[in-house]
Amino acid sequence: MAVGPRVLEAAGLREPGRRTRLREWWEQEHIFGYGLIVPAIVLLVTLVGFPFGMAIWFSLSDYWVGSPGGFVGLTNYRDILGNETFRQTVQNSFVFTGIALTLKIVLGVWLAMLLARNLSFKRVIRGIVLLPFVIPTALSTLAWLWMFDSLYSVVNWTAIRLHLISAPGPNWLGQSAYAMAAVITVNVWRGLPFFAIVVLAGLMTVPREYLEAAEVDGASSWGRFWHVTLPLIRPVLAVVILFSTIFTFADFNIVQVLTRGGPINTTHLFATLAYQVGLQGGNLGQGAAISLFIFPLLALVVFFQLRYVREE
Amino acid sequence: MKTTDRRVPTRRQFLATTAGATAGMASWLALGKAPAHAQKRELTFLSWNHFVPASDDELRKQAEAFGKANNCTVRVDTMAHLQMPSKIAAEAQSQSGHDMYRTASADPFLYENLLITMDDVVEKVGKQGGGWYSFAAESCQTKSGWKAIPWFWVSFPGTYNMAHFKKAGFEHPPKTWDELLKQGKVLKKQGNPVGIPISHCSDAHSTYWSVAWSQGAKVLEADGKTPGIVSDKTAQVIEWYKDLYTNAMEPEVLSWDDAGNNRFILSGKGSWIHNPISPYNAALANKQPIADDINHHNSPGGPAGIHSAPPNLSMGIWKFSKNQELAKEFIVYLFQKQNFDAWIVASNAFNHPPLKNLADHPIWARNPKFAMLPKEAEYAHPRGWPAKPSEAVQRIDDNYIMADMVAKAVNGMPTKRAMDWAQEQIALAVKGQLKVQ
Repeated sequence: MAVGPRVLEAAGLREPGRRTRLREWWEQEHIFGYGLIVPAIVLLVTLVGFPFGMAIWFSLSDYWVGSPGGFVGLTNYRDILGNETFRQTVQNSFVFTGIALTLKIVLGVWLAMLLARNLSFKRVIRGIVLLPFVIPTALSTLAWLWMFDSLYSVVNWTAIRLHLISAPGPNWLGQSAYAMAAVITVNVWRGLPFFAIVVLAGLMTVPREYLEAAEVDGASSWGRFWHVTLPLIRPVLAVVILFSTIFTFADFNIVQVLTRGGPINTTHLFATLAYQVGLQGGNLGQGAAISLFIFPLLALVVFFQLRYVREE
Repeated sequence: MKTTDRRVPTRRQFLATTAGATAGMASWLALGKAPAHAQKRELTFLSWNHFVPASDDELRKQAEAFGKANNCTVRVDTMAHLQMPSKIAAEAQSQSGHDMYRTASADPFLYENLLITMDDVVEKVGKQGGGWYSFAAESCQTKSGWKAIPWFWVSFPGTYNMAHFKKAGFEHPPKTWDELLKQGKVLKKQGNPVGIPISHCSDAHSTYWSVAWSQGAKVLEADGKTPGIVSDKTAQVIEWYKDLYTNAMEPEVLSWDDAGNNRFILSGKGSWIHNPISPYNAALANKQPIADDINHHNSPGGPAGIHSAPPNLSMGIWKFSKNQELAKEFIVYLFQKQNFDAWIVASNAFNHPPLKNLADHPIWARNPKFAMLPKEAEYAHPRGWPAKPSEAVQRIDDNYIMADMVAKAVNGMPTKRAMDWAQEQIALAVKGQLKVQ
């Protein structure tokens, strides 16, 4: 039954003021809920949605820096597909992501298992492990640049002193295979802590009873990991692989600082080539097309990964 | 117990204060100008991190002096030269940023529609300075007028270690690129290879243009639209590079940045590089004994003569700048003889004036190791020559096409295929013209 003005009058109560009515309206669950997420939506639309929309528009236009262009449809995409440098970049990106991701998965799980043990100075060690992830990438990559320098490479110097290689040692940033190995190494070094810490969080949720039961049943340590631990951390692993795939595909700093896409474009990734073509070369349309080229594939990866996580 | 008498504002006071401040800021933003007490003209200038830092110190000193004399502030921001193209692109795109900037190569063509025409200031400064060197002038003159004013150019001589050459039994440094190859083979066997970058850095292209022109090769035809790289001359250039790479250099040249060849000669390992005089200046500044061994000679030549593509830096003023006239005044001030002279001295002969009268500075005559440097102006062309500078030329450099062509060839790609690849890339760079608004 509605409480109208006559009821309030009979009860000797005053009608609620405008402020009270406003508060009552605001505190309705569906209004309040949406109200709380509006700032986040505004932020996302402004900082992510708008630039993304602009990038799509650029990629479909012959837009040059400072010169608004007209709609050209898929011309930019057709042009870049016909460009050998771009095809090389596609190959580089898959090689780079494939190898770096595999290493991060294997080493990340292994490192997480180590960190999960009852070590002395556990907290200190975990803090140290996180360091590569905390230091700004451009800064740490500059240190790697020196380590791989053709004249003063500390990597080569150490290996030569230990008689592992003969002088002068590999030309890390000047030969295609070595340069790819160098950028992958730095990417793995930097991404490993993120992997390890997230997987460690997953490991913490594995009930001890399961592992003990498996041990009583005679399962080896590998068997316990394979049949008990891995299935239980699979959802966490799926999420971290998803994030890492996107981060690795979109890497920019490491390649830009170490090789600038060289030698002979053999380490160019989508982001570095887009930067070179779009910003340095002024061809924003083509630069946007290069950077968005991988988007449909990544969107599919995200879709299937998230569906898998939900099912799990 | 003693209590401290802290005045904690009430919620009402806090709200009143913040509301007042917000309203003040809002009116400031809405009006688009600062309150009267904060108004002092500020001119902003974006330049590069100079390879001789003392040069930037002198520039800031002059900027400060100009500011004091004109009741304004001149802020000089500097950044790494390889990052400048993207920063400039961002400013062009957003139509905001600095008032003026140090343009390079074909920027005046790339941003022709976004830079103001500077014919008046160019004429004034040019008259006082005895006229511009043609290669410097050409790099700023677009179809719609002077879009930048030549500021300085950087000579690109041969830099060599006299001790290594003497040990190898050579009386003089190479006069031609072929002689460099012959000497380089001996020097490499001696443990002192020569070095030309074949990598993603601007020095790689500065040298390539020089070598190609000396051989009679081209990148673009004179019309500026037709790729001209596939030719017997270019094939000879590539073959020369292959020979030099294999027998006179180390593979490290494939990974060099612009400081790579500097480190190479200063380490004592390298015997010859093609580079501005910055390594020598660095050795002097750091009191390195190797400074005594380093000397310079004019850029080598070939069958088609001596040619060089010195980095050519200018100054442009954005159309979106609110301080265009002030920027012009500042430029005129920088070109005053005493200021420009002081700036040349600060750079220890690195900065070459684009004006003939200013080039007559004793600094090059005083040091025998610098004596030949001004002569480099006689061999200089803007990049792209025989084509006029254009945004296409800028894109060819920005995308490291020639460096990659040579790198592919020295890594085993047949010469013809490497040339075809470059031709395709140059055709792509020529495609797409900026639309003048």
